[in-house]
Parts: sequence; structure tokens; C-alpha cells
Amino acid sequence: MKVRKRMIFLFLLPASTLYLVFFLFPAVWAFYFSVFDWSGFGESKIFIGLGNYLELMNDDLFWTSFSNTLKILFLGGFITLAVAFFMTVLFSTNIRGKKFFRAMIFMPNVVATIALTTLWAFIYNPKFGLLTNFFAALGFEELSKVLWTAGDRVFYAMLIALIWIQVGFMVVLLLAGADKIPFEFYEAAKIEGANAWQMFLRITIPLMWDVITVAVVFWSIWALKVFEFPYAFFGITPPTQIYTVGIYMYIMGFGKRDPIYRLGYATAIGVLLLLVVIVVIVFLRRVMRREVYEY
Amino acid sequence: MKTIKIFFVLIMMASMILTACGAPATEPPAEEPAAEEPAAEEPAAEEPAEGEVVTLAYWSMWNEPETIAQVIQGWIDEFEAQNPNIKIEPVWNGRENQTKARTALAGGTVIDIVDQDADQIAGGMMTEGLGYPLNEFLDQKALDEDVPIKDVFYPGLLEVFEQDGNIYLWPYMNSVVMWWYNKDIFEEAGVTPPETWEQFIENGEKIRDAGYGVMAVEGDVFDYNMFIYAYYLARVKGKGFLLSAITDETGETWKDPAIIEAMAEMQGLWDKGLIPPESEGYVWPAGQTTLALGETAMEMCGAWLPNELAETAGPDFNWGGFRFPAVAGGVGDIDDLQSWLLAAMIMKDSKHPAEAFEFLKFMMTKESQSQMAEVALQGVTRVGVEWPEQIADGAAAAASAKDGLLHVDGGTAFYAEFTTTVLNQPFLDAFYKRITPEEFGNTMAEKAAEYWAGQ
Repeated sequence: MKVRKRMIFLFLLPASTLYLVFFLFPAVWAFYFSVFDWSGFGESKIFIGLGNYLELMNDDLFWTSFSNTLKILFLGGFITLAVAFFMTVLFSTNIRGKKFFRAMIFMPNVVATIALTTLWAFIYNPKFGLLTNFFAALGFEELSKVLWTAGDRVFYAMLIALIWIQVGFMVVLLLAGADKIPFEFYEAAKIEGANAWQMFLRITIPLMWDVITVAVVFWSIWALKVFEFPYAFFGITPPTQIYTVGIYMYIMGFGKRDPIYRLGYATAIGVLLLLVVIVVIVFLRRVMRREVYEY
Repeated sequence: MKTIKIFFVLIMMASMILTACGAPATEPPAEEPAAEEPAAEEPAAEEPAEGEVVTLAYWSMWNEPETIAQVIQGWIDEFEAQNPNIKIEPVWNGRENQTKARTALAGGTVIDIVDQDADQIAGGMMTEGLGYPLNEFLDQKALDEDVPIKDVFYPGLLEVFEQDGNIYLWPYMNSVVMWWYNKDIFEEAGVTPPETWEQFIENGEKIRDAGYGVMAVEGDVFDYNMFIYAYYLARVKGKGFLLSAITDETGETWKDPAIIEAMAEMQGLWDKGLIPPESEGYVWPAGQTTLALGETAMEMCGAWLPNELAETAGPDFNWGGFRFPAVAGGVGDIDDLQSWLLAAMIMKDSKHPAEAFEFLKFMMTKESQSQMAEVALQGVTRVGVEWPEQIADGAAAAASAKDGLLHVDGGTAFYAEFTTTVLNQPFLDAFYKRITPEEFGNTMAEKAAEYWAGQ
């Protein structure tokens, strides 16, 4: 028994060591840097305790970024999963060209972010963009003149693009779960007189619950650290309306375009983000815990 | 119990790490700012032994395949051929150069020369005291002319980032910021480059009436729109006024009538139809593309614009450039010119600053600068070198400049956090008429006072 325990320890050692070296140690190290006022240049760090965290509490731009991140998490998450579910149900039927549609909808996940931002900039272009021409062709003159990327609308314009990118991934994930459900369950339910909605609620959702949980956790992690698309979407400098926590951290710590070098402050943002990710994931795991059906 | 023990061990480990790493924190917190340290330190420079080959590490913001990097590589090759005792090892880092250098310096890497946008390097490494002051070298003769090297630059360029009487930055590329325009549209509308703001508006109305968009503007790009506002303010109140507002800890300067009126003039450009209304919805580079396609007549930008649009505009595009016009009753001079400079800096810890400066001098020979102009199609910093045809008007503006202006009047370089976190959004809201000029002044006054109170 003792030998067996030693073996378990030995087998766990490589993975644990990697986790310790590449995650736990940097996380502790990051917390260490976050209690300093430090540009990142040289050794001239000034210990300020929780000063960076207190400053964050009164930083309007941080709260704007945080609020945008939460909107992506909850609003974006709700719409993405709803659309993904709808498509999963569609693809679960014997629709023709199922594989083709599935590949098409997954496509944004294999295209470079910069190409996607260029595509969406074209879609929203107020002069010759896809939306403008589409609405003009349908005779909706007012809609064709809407500036989708102006002012506060830019955030929602970006959110739609983010949803479009992620729906494909979620559909593939949910389909994998849906395909596992034996078809006989639905046949039996039909014989008993269940309609499509009842079958969805009583069969599909309960039997896919573990996959749904994974999808929600994936979305949450992705949404909380979203960075590339909004940052690249506006080309030169992103307007503050589309700042996410990730973007704000980058701007404060890495001197991109404007030479702001507050590595201590940026690290504090990173530590807070890590805590938020942990809290959200633990919360979701608890809320979504259900009995697993075996079939 | 076991869990508690593990938790206790983890806490102990974390405490040990924090304690061990916490040593620097016990250093006096009131130590001198890094920028003032070099004077108190022993000079890092070393005299090379007779015949010793000196190797210089040159960290660059360019990517190796870029034309500008190839021009610089050509300089290095030629310089090494002429100076067999000096070898230069370039590191092509791309635009993240300064951030990468920051990490490398923390790891003890010695870098002799860095290059970057001058605003960024001034607000980064220079402000951090990592630059080597060049004053001791400035009276040396240029390599190809019998004049002090400091005199080969266009007026104001070498001094524009001077700090405490010291020169740290060595500008080698010069993107003058001015109105870049389509000469054919100007001709068709019967207008010529204006000298005053009134003429500018009149010209714009004629261009508009001729059926063209007048000014190409991007949606929500702070820097490009700020070029226009900051220039206007500099013409009215002179260099340094916008900076005085940025640094005013009470925030009251933001309520100055000049600040409000300048913003009212910006909003007037929309009211008069001089900026196409759809511009607010453009995602860069959609706005400037309208200039290249001949739909709009001009854009306020750096001299990189014609280069950037070369492919879309085509070889027959008739480029011209003119300075931001004077404003009636204003104290600012029409000759004051903003230049977006690319600069090199010798690092404080370089062991061979004299040899590094030899290379900086080599960058400024007429031949080197001509290569930058001819091959990379860029504006240059040395007087008497011909600029590429499409930005030739930039050379004339640079030659007549009496003083150099900085982006956001120096705000970006030295108060970047303020311009990004405080000024950016209210400015864009006002520029796009989401708030009134008065609201802009009041919002800025409030936010500036709040910002400075927190510093």
C-alpha cells in the first residue's frame, strides 16, 4: 500500500511541479509586484502595500473596463449559449449538409483575429459596409444610415462580433453532448406524446448538463480575459468604450502607443482578474452541480 | 487536519518568498527619482584596449523584413566596413522594443543603443533615467561636413525632448504632422493651401460645394483628431498652453475660454459640413481610405500617410502638404511644426558610448539620410537631403520651422497616463459633438482636479 502511495506521488510529481513553477509561483510573484509602485524599469520599486488596489477602487476607467467585461460575460454568454443551443437543436435533426454548416459556423475559430477584425470593420463601414448596403437594398433608409461603431454603440457592435466568433465553438461542444443521447429516448417520449419543447427540457438539457457546465465555464474564462479582438478592432488605439480588464491592464503596464509604464498597478489589475476568474468558476461549478445521469 | 497542515505549509512558503523578495522594499522609499540617478553614479564607459573590437548591441523597433530595417542594416554594414574595430549587433524587436528591452534590462542584459518613436522613448526609458546624455559629443564635427554635428538637424528637432539641459534622443526619421491633401481636388475647387484659419474654412466650403468630402477623419482615433485640436490651440495660445492645462492640478485652466472656443471650432467643422457625417462611424483606416480614393480632399496626419496609402492611391495621386494655418489674433507662429520623430538613444549603462555615438553620427550623414528618404520613402532629420516627391512639402515646412511642437503639447510623452485615462474620452466626446464645448471644459476641470488629487 505504501509503495502504491509513493507511486501515485511520483506520477503526480511532474504535473504538480509544472503547475507550481508555471502557475502558482508566478501568481505569488505577481501579488508581490502588485504591492509596489513600479514602472518595471530598474530596481526602484516603492512599497505601497495595498495602495494599487485602493487606487483601483476609485479608478473610473477600471470600472468601465470591468463593467464591459461583465457585460461580455453575462449578456454575451447568455446570447451565445442561446444561439448555440438553437443551432445544436437544428443540427441534431437530420438536416442536409449538417457537416458543412457545422464547419462553416466553426470557421471563425480558425481564422486569425486580425482578419476577423478587418471583416467586421467592413461589415460596419458606414459608407460601403455590408449592413449599410443590406438595409439600403431592403429600403430601410434610416437603418442604413446608422453608425454602428460610433459612440456607445461600438461596444455592442464588438459584442455581436465576439458572439459570432464563439457560437461556432459552443455549437461543436454542445453537439458532441447532444450526439451522445440515444435516439430511442426521443422516440419513447414521442410515443408518450411529448412535444419538441418538452423533449428539449426533459431529455436534452438533463442529459447534456455536464457538457453545458463545461461550455459555461469555457465561456466564462474566455470572456473574462478577452483582449485580442477588441484591441485589434479599432486599429490604432481602442476607444475607452470597448476597454476590457485585459486591455486596461495591457495599456497601464506595457506602454503600448502611449508610454504608460505602471507595472505594479497593471499587476494589481491582473491579480484582481485572477481572483474574479476563481470566484466566478467556483460559483458556477457549485451552482451548476447536478446529479450525473448515466445512460 | 491534513488540509490545515498543507495550508499552513503553503502560507509559510508564501511568507518566505515574500520576505526574501521583499528586501528592496526596505530601501528608503524617498530615494531620488530614477531620472536623476545618472549624475550620482560612476560612469559606465570603458576605454577599449588597442586593437580591441568593440561590440554594440542595437535594439530596434523595426521588424527585420521592413524596408526601414533594411536601410538601417545597410548603415550598419557600411559603418562596420569603415570602422573595423566596431561591430554592431542589431536585435529587430518590432514595435514592442521598449517593453522587451525593459524585461531584458531587468535580467542584466546590456544594451548600447535603442530606437523607438521619440514620444514613447522619452516617456519611457528617458524619463526613467536610462539614457546617456549626449551633450559632451554635440560639438564634434559631422562626418561629411565641417560643421558641428548638432547643426545638421532641422531647427528644433534635437532640442524638442531636452530634459534638464541634457539631450538624450537622436532623431533620425521625421514624420512632419500637417495637412496632406489631393492637389487635383484643390485645383478643381479653385483653392490653394491656406495661410489663415478663415481661408481654411473658405477653402473647405468651396471643396464641399465642388462635391467632395473635405476632411478625412477616423472614428474615435484620439491621436489624429488631437493633432487638429492641439495645433489650433497652439496657434491661438502658443506652445505650452495645452501642457499647462494638463499639469494644472486645480483643473481650472480647462475652463479657459481658449480651450472652449477651440473645441467650438472643431465642432463647427461638422456643422459646416467640412467633415463627412459618416466619419464618426469609421474604423481606421476607413477614413483615410476615402482620401486615397479621391472622395475627400485632405487629412491631418504624419508624413507616413502618403506612404501608407500609396497602394490604394496609386502612383498618379497628386500629393501635397501644407502647415496648419495661423489663427487671427493668436500668439502661435504658423512656422511652429509638430514632428513625429523616430529616435535612437544611447543607454546609460553602455560601456562604449563614444563608439555608439560614432554610429549615431553615421546615421546623420547625407548619404545615410538620403537612403532613408529614397529607399524607405521617409522624411528625414538632416537639412539639405531631398525628401521623396509625395512628401516634399514636408521638407519645406521642416526647413521653415522655428520651433518644434510635441504631440498633445508634450502630454503624450510626459503625462501619458493623464492623456489616456483623463483626456481621451472627454476629448473624443466633444470632438464628435456628444457633449458641448462647455461641458468638455467643465468635465476636464473636474476630472483633472480629481486625477491630480490622487497623485
